[in-house]
Amino acid sequence: MFRELILMLHPTFGVLAVIASVWVFVETLNARDANIARLRGAGVLAAIMMWLAYIVGGYWYVVYYGADKALIKAGPWPFAHGFVMETKEHVFLMLLLLATFLPIAAYGDVVKKQVARNLVLWTSALVVLMGLAMEGAGAVINMGVKVALLAN
Amino acid sequence: MAKSQTSAADRAGATVTGYGVSYAITSIASALLVVLKESSESVLQFLVAITGHHWVTHGLLVMIVFVAVGAVLARRDMNLSGNALIATIVGSTVVSGLIISGFFIL
Repeated sequence: MFRELILMLHPTFGVLAVIASVWVFVETLNARDANIARLRGAGVLAAIMMWLAYIVGGYWYVVYYGADKALIKAGPWPFAHGFVMETKEHVFLMLLLLATFLPIAAYGDVVKKQVARNLVLWTSALVVLMGLAMEGAGAVINMGVKVALLAN
Repeated sequence: MAKSQTSAADRAGATVTGYGVSYAITSIASALLVVLKESSESVLQFLVAITGHHWVTHGLLVMIVFVAVGAVLARRDMNLSGNALIATIVGSTVVSGLIISGFFIL
């Protein structure tokens, strides 16, 4: 039960990070004095959610993934580990850095400077796109385990 | 004077620029470390020896480099325009992603 709970919390925190990043994007499009605190709060929230996804997912990966990895590699979808998981676990580190950078960028002069605004827009958009890619990769890995179990 | 003001307005700020460039450097370095550790058993075992798992050590190194390089660059007040910073961040993300995915697909 604990194992399954952790596995479900990982993508949940990831989705919340994506939603918070979309929130940052929208607030930035309308950045002004009235919403700057909300924009920065959403940026911090996105970073916290991504760190929680990292810690929970990392714990599961280090402690529990070995058994699933063996299943996937012996099953009909070995690429779910060989390509998808290997890429995911390393691209995620970049995503974590980018999500950490998002609140730093949000604490720039977003209200007065167009370049600062554009930087937050690009950063939040990248976090959203990479976050969605991580969710999709997780689904493929999950399917890799499923088809391996069904094949036995 | 007018040129200097325009230049300042075009920049994202010292801290933001420093950590933005640090992200770009760290993401490329991280991608190269992926290639290195997956190609060299001794490098992989060295990373394993530090924390017990290569990925945990990798993540730790990435964080340390990001914070350390960012702290140093933030104090230098780099002369980099906001648009150049955006291009650097987006470009490094794409290149790092291609290095990692390209390595595992080949």
